[in-house]
Amino acid sequence: MFEMNTAEPMQVDVPLEDNENNETECYVVDNPTLDLETYAASYTGFAKLYRLMFVADHCPSLRLEALKMAISYVMTTYNVSLYQTLHKKLAEAVATVGLPDVAVQMGSQDIPVLDSMWVESKTKKAAIKLEKLDTDLKNYKTNSIKESIRRGHDDLGDHYLDCGDLTSALKCYSRARDYCTSGKHIIMMCLNVVKVSVYLQNWAHVLNYVSKAEGTPDFNEVPGKDSNQSILTRLKCAAGLAELATKKYKSAAKHFLAASIDHCDYPELLSSNNVAVYGGLCALATFDRSELQKQVIVSSSFKLFLELEPQLRDIIFKFYESKYASCLRLLDEIRDNLLLDMYLAPHLNSLYMQIRNRALIQYFSPYLSADMHLMAAAFNRTVNALEDELMQLILDGQIQARIDSHNKILYAKDVDQRSTTFERSLAMGKEYQRRTSMLILRAALLKNHIHVKIVGREPGPQSGEAPGSSTSLAIRSYETVPL
Amino acid sequence: MASPLEQFVNNVRISSASGNFRELYEMIGKSEEVLQRNTVHLNTVLETLDIQQHSLGILAVLLAKFSSPQGNDVDRSTMYQQIHDFITNCNGEQVRFGPDLYADLCHLLTDYLIEQKQPIRGIEILKKAIRKIQLFDSQLTSIHADLCQLCLLSKCMKPALEFLDTDVTGIGSELGGVNDSKHFLLYYYYGGMIYTALKNYDRALYFFEVVVTVPSMVVSHIMLEAYKKYILVSLILHGKILPTPKYTSQVVFRFLKPLSLAYLELATSQHAALKHREVFVRDKNMGLVNQVLSSMYKKNIQRLTKTFLTLSLSDVASRVQLSGPAQAESYVLNMIEEGEIYAMINQKDGMVVFLDSPEKYASPETLSILEQQMAACTKLHQYIQEMDEQIQMNPQYVKKAVGSHDEDMPATSQKSIAISTYSM
Amino acid sequence: MISNFDKLCGDLEKQELEAPNGVASSSTYAQLLAIYLYQNDLCNAKYLWKRIPQSITSSNPEIPAIWAVGQKLWKKDLAGTYHALAAFTWTEPVAHIIRALEERVRERAFNLIGRSYSTVSLDTIVLMTGLSREAVLQICRDKKWELHSDGVTISPTPPVQPSPLHTSSEDQLFKLTEFVSFLEN
Repeated sequence: MFEMNTAEPMQVDVPLEDNENNETECYVVDNPTLDLETYAASYTGFAKLYRLMFVADHCPSLRLEALKMAISYVMTTYNVSLYQTLHKKLAEAVATVGLPDVAVQMGSQDIPVLDSMWVESKTKKAAIKLEKLDTDLKNYKTNSIKESIRRGHDDLGDHYLDCGDLTSALKCYSRARDYCTSGKHIIMMCLNVVKVSVYLQNWAHVLNYVSKAEGTPDFNEVPGKDSNQSILTRLKCAAGLAELATKKYKSAAKHFLAASIDHCDYPELLSSNNVAVYGGLCALATFDRSELQKQVIVSSSFKLFLELEPQLRDIIFKFYESKYASCLRLLDEIRDNLLLDMYLAPHLNSLYMQIRNRALIQYFSPYLSADMHLMAAAFNRTVNALEDELMQLILDGQIQARIDSHNKILYAKDVDQRSTTFERSLAMGKEYQRRTSMLILRAALLKNHIHVKIVGREPGPQSGEAPGSSTSLAIRSYETVPL
Repeated sequence: MASPLEQFVNNVRISSASGNFRELYEMIGKSEEVLQRNTVHLNTVLETLDIQQHSLGILAVLLAKFSSPQGNDVDRSTMYQQIHDFITNCNGEQVRFGPDLYADLCHLLTDYLIEQKQPIRGIEILKKAIRKIQLFDSQLTSIHADLCQLCLLSKCMKPALEFLDTDVTGIGSELGGVNDSKHFLLYYYYGGMIYTALKNYDRALYFFEVVVTVPSMVVSHIMLEAYKKYILVSLILHGKILPTPKYTSQVVFRFLKPLSLAYLELATSQHAALKHREVFVRDKNMGLVNQVLSSMYKKNIQRLTKTFLTLSLSDVASRVQLSGPAQAESYVLNMIEEGEIYAMINQKDGMVVFLDSPEKYASPETLSILEQQMAACTKLHQYIQEMDEQIQMNPQYVKKAVGSHDEDMPATSQKSIAISTYSM
Repeated sequence: MISNFDKLCGDLEKQELEAPNGVASSSTYAQLLAIYLYQNDLCNAKYLWKRIPQSITSSNPEIPAIWAVGQKLWKKDLAGTYHALAAFTWTEPVAHIIRALEERVRERAFNLIGRSYSTVSLDTIVLMTGLSREAVLQICRDKKWELHSDGVTISPTPPVQPSPLHTSSEDQLFKLTEFVSFLEN
């Protein structure tokens, strides 16, 4: 339902298509408790812009505010095309919502108007700057000073990024690679590429360059322990995002859990709060009880992250204390806000589902039998809905149990090891016989050079027929229809 | 009597008397034309030869007589009797020098009986014919396919079972080599159909799988039809389409799958049965498709037994989409009878209690089943070992193994086991 | 009357295959069809019915009558089966096969009821066995199936498994030796 086009990079250059894409993922969050101001303040660059746009697309009540903030921010960059796109969105928003009270509340004079003068001058300035950077780079190249060339590429990349031309930015950053003279340079190059790749949602690229950075020989000898930690945290966060986006929730959790709060300063991609939420939810969905305890609950570093998100911390603790009803209720409470997170939203349903299933499994694990009425109450479900959920879990082999639908009791299933062993070995024997006789037949087949080929037209009683053409005869006269 | 014909008779006599059957077989190959030109005199020739002593000669004459291109003026009324007598009385060792001729004669008889709409009359003769030419019980001949075809056409399947139930370990020479694979494919295709008709789906699947996995460069109609039935039987038996083995030829994936889309769709959606009804009816597979559908109900009920201890009949009905408790009860009852599930119906409360298999694997029966299965496995293993030894003694293999590398022998012989058992 | 139907079955099959012009006598067909039903070999019965020449089935009402029984068996319609069995006056030699068939169908029905029901109504048993209520009640008493106080509900007990066959320990030892010697080679 919340399927996002993760396969396709967000294309800022083609705003029309962007709009169309948004139509397909239309869900609406009505009552978020999000403080947009604080939220937006945690990010810079494209992270801020994309997130604000995502909120605008999915939350009518925050739409105008989000767009206005995005516009005022985009004006600090050279990104003219995004500026125009945002204005178009704004115009649409005003047209649709602008009717009764909202218009009155906002006051129409509040709405910024498209400043074509700004567009013109920015475009011109951007072109001039581009030209200058280009000339600089050419000069460096004629002088062939490696370090200057590298910086020249980087500067050019920064400028493209500022203009919103992600593909060109990526190209420039990648080109710097050939001029890196130290491990530190390589790592900086990797970080640049990772950043732009995240914007482009090219997750394979992200993981690739993260491991490249981590594999750089003097990765651990970069001067200054702090900066090293901060780089490591950035890499972990980027990798976590990529794993999350590709539905590998468990390894996403592990990456996020490895982040260090003191060095978590990555506003171009995500905030510390994001790390807490992403890591916490992924861990809850995929970790077993002991993993959850060791790596999340008593983890001194992640504890600090969780302090930022007290609600989530409560959820994790409630889960660990087996208070599933309140845990699930709290999860539902934060759901709306999480749906406004562009990276989490597409995965929220499956994460919630996995957390729920894990809770069901854990709830039942100590019992030999459980009253389904009580269980349903503990999970805010009707007994029948619970029955369906349990049925699926049993079929998937996640719970070893059987349902007594008559008395609404769930019974743990005792597996008779001896019988299953007999059953399996007999099946294995049958399979061996089947495969071996097939093999013997095949050996005979090959020995006699039998294979299907085009037959020549030889004279003879049955010539001129393609192999099998005579089968139609028997097929015609044969029916399997009983009676 | 024309002289070339006389010469033929003389040659038959001389070679048969001296036991030079290989030469005789070659001579027959050359005199085919002579015989066919003189169809009028062939009956006289037959009278001068003796079935036991000159079996090969008689075989050649009979074949020429009944396969002559001017067939229309040949009296076929005696064909059945003549071939019957020949097969009953001929010398097996002798005709084994011309297995292709022998098989051709059987094909002629088969075609004739089909034309006469009396396929059932050929069953006994062909059984006898196969037993006579076979070197061992598990040898496949091209006559096998004829027998199966006659059984299918006459709707009398039982006689074919004694052959179908024997796993083939060797193949008659007339089936391979320059001849096309038609009879091989047909045998396994017809065999699969017979097993399907008798609801032995396990064996049927095996037979269809053989057809589908025959090495092939082009698509054969037989393979296509077999593939469709493979899908259906697999669905009936396992509720899903089992993947074909790795050695399946590329053509299967490239051509057969696109040609069987309606069937593949059936695996994912029951609506496909209605949607592609025309295709299934045209392919004469509607009966099987219906069985796929009813097996889906059964598969779903079996799934219920894995999850529930008790369930009301009306819940059973709603969960597997049956019309009501009564229909659910009859499905459950039938499945209990067939041993497909273990359950107890409480008619008074309208409940079903699902039970575990009562089999405790502690009875003497289990022991005897186990013994049988182990014996079968042992036998197969021994056979594989024999095959391996044969390969190792094959001069060609030895030459290749020693020639290419100068490794020591044990290493290569180890490799040969792997080759002979796994890489085919 | 106990006959060796399996042997008779083989003979009849042979008769059919060796019949001149591929058409056997109507008596052969009738007996074979009845025996297939008796053996519960419905597939072969169905194909036999399909291959009997029309001239024979139309002139011999007993054969369609036998198949009418087969059809009900195919549909697992037990009540219909008894109905079809009673609807024709069978003649020898088919009659005694039919009697054995009816016996066997009823025995299977009782067996099935015992295996699949913890409680079942008297009416269902009557339908599934084609007997009168009185006869059913009598048999239930013989089988020690409990009749509930409401007079219509019965709790059957599962049939007792036949005692297992006995194999000599010497034989088992022999097989074991063989198996071990296989493993060691």
